[in-house]
Amino acid sequence: MRKKISPYFIVGSIFLLVIVLSCILGLLGVGPDPEKTNSASKLMAPSMSHLMGTDNLGRDVFARVLSASKYTLLISFAGVTVALVIGTVAGMLAGYFGGIWDRIIMLLGNSVMCFPGILLALVAVAVSGPSLFNVIWALGLVFAPTFARVYRTEVIKIKGRDYILHARILKVNPIRIMAVHIFPNAFAQIIPAIVIGLANMTLSESAMSYLGLGVQPPKASYGKILSDAQSYITAAPWLVIFPSLMLVIYILGLYFISEGIRGDK
Amino acid sequence: MKERITYILSRVLELILTLLLVSLFTFAAFSVIPGDTAQTILGPNATPEQVEILREKMGLNDPLAFRYLSWLKGAFTGNFGNSISFNSSVSSLIVSRLPVTFGLSLLALILVLVISYPSAVISSRRPGKFWDQVFSVFGHVSFAIPPFVLSLLSVLLASKVFGYFAVGKYVSPAKDFGGYLYCLLLPAFCIAVPKIAMTFKFLRASILTEKNNDYVRTSKSRGLSDIKIMFKHILPNSNVSVITALSIVLSDLLGGSLIVEQVFNLPGLGRLLLQAIGRRDFPLLSGIVFYLATMMVIIYFLADILMNMCDPRLRRNRGEL
Repeated sequence: MRKKISPYFIVGSIFLLVIVLSCILGLLGVGPDPEKTNSASKLMAPSMSHLMGTDNLGRDVFARVLSASKYTLLISFAGVTVALVIGTVAGMLAGYFGGIWDRIIMLLGNSVMCFPGILLALVAVAVSGPSLFNVIWALGLVFAPTFARVYRTEVIKIKGRDYILHARILKVNPIRIMAVHIFPNAFAQIIPAIVIGLANMTLSESAMSYLGLGVQPPKASYGKILSDAQSYITAAPWLVIFPSLMLVIYILGLYFISEGIRGDK
Repeated sequence: MKERITYILSRVLELILTLLLVSLFTFAAFSVIPGDTAQTILGPNATPEQVEILREKMGLNDPLAFRYLSWLKGAFTGNFGNSISFNSSVSSLIVSRLPVTFGLSLLALILVLVISYPSAVISSRRPGKFWDQVFSVFGHVSFAIPPFVLSLLSVLLASKVFGYFAVGKYVSPAKDFGGYLYCLLLPAFCIAVPKIAMTFKFLRASILTEKNNDYVRTSKSRGLSDIKIMFKHILPNSNVSVITALSIVLSDLLGGSLIVEQVFNLPGLGRLLLQAIGRRDFPLLSGIVFYLATMMVIIYFLADILMNMCDPRLRRNRGEL
């Protein structure tokens, strides 16, 4: 059973490791305080004392990027969890019971997916007020239908197998069949969708934060830093370059990992 | 033929149901918000009597179901009421912003098609070889760059390296069509890049699957040239599966346009949306949201019908999956 691990998977894991490491460093509070302003050192170019330079308020960009990793990671993981829970329940119900349940759930899901891009999440946050919690549930709701779809397809495939039939003949409770027999078997197929979901969630979150409807100051994710940096783009390009790089590394890492997982099969 | 009509009818029914649900979502989202619209319009200094009069005038005292129905009636006749903050009707505001958002999305779609098709054809000629590898790596990387980040970086590049590009400028198409296209080209490209990668990947996979079919081998043994087989047989078949992907691409392009407009300072629907959010102008906001969603519902519907027309096989084994 020795399989060659896909190079995509290795590169992706390294990229992800970089982000996780920077998140840990941020949590440990390495380096200067990310929120401490210093009027004496505004918009300084990267140097040994400020690895990624400083911003318009004299805050250290490196420290801010480390602390932003924390929020970016938190939102993407929490959001995907919300989406996964809702999507799993909805997808399994639709797939297992079929008929009218299927129709209703799929129609609901399709109507959510009709809103282009992150429009629905944007509006949900605009209406309920921007905060960390609201961003997470809004994105979770918007992403749930994608997971429901994947789950539904898997459940329909598994439903016809003999061991499910056997369980049904034995009059096993449908909920138990779904939880014990179908869920674990379908889950393996969901993993690439989860990884891609994380990447897409990050894309959406960063865009929302960029528009000012994500995490609120003094908290900052990569998108928020980029939004703050925009006015100084020509005067201080490092303000844009480093956070962009981190964002792209994170998303690219996730894509590569999903590519690697799929390639292995 | 009868089967086709039943299919289209059932799809139309689904379309109407979806539109109703979309309108319900939109309306519900704006009904649960705390705060009084009448109070927002009149400002904090209004007396309770003034607020009450306006509430009555705006129909805010009517039951919720009644308000929904009247809103729905307005929405389907293109009358979303008046904007609170702009002092003009919501539909005229939306229409005035359309050239930017739709121009951007359309231009981006053209870029997606023009770039992804040739590269997928070249790539799938010799899978795993040099060009395939080059395109695939490019595809992966561009997939991971958010449009707004790409926009920021290209603004940076345009101003630092090239000295000039139409950044932050906008010319209306009625005044100078060439200038209009010129202003939209860079933002459209930024929106298109991740979607080019997506379409490329999809098309490449689709072509490679088609290539393994018997009819390709038969055509080859009949002595048809590779190019002829590709354009007459493989591509038309691959197109079928790409239509669905393209309808999703179009939705993402539209969503991307809303954000990228902000970076390039273009007066489109995205800007209007953010202004509406910032000023808590909910009639305007719900109008924009419902309008965009309706557009997408119709596009998905058309893509579905189109695909069904293109591929008779789909009609027969439409079932569980």
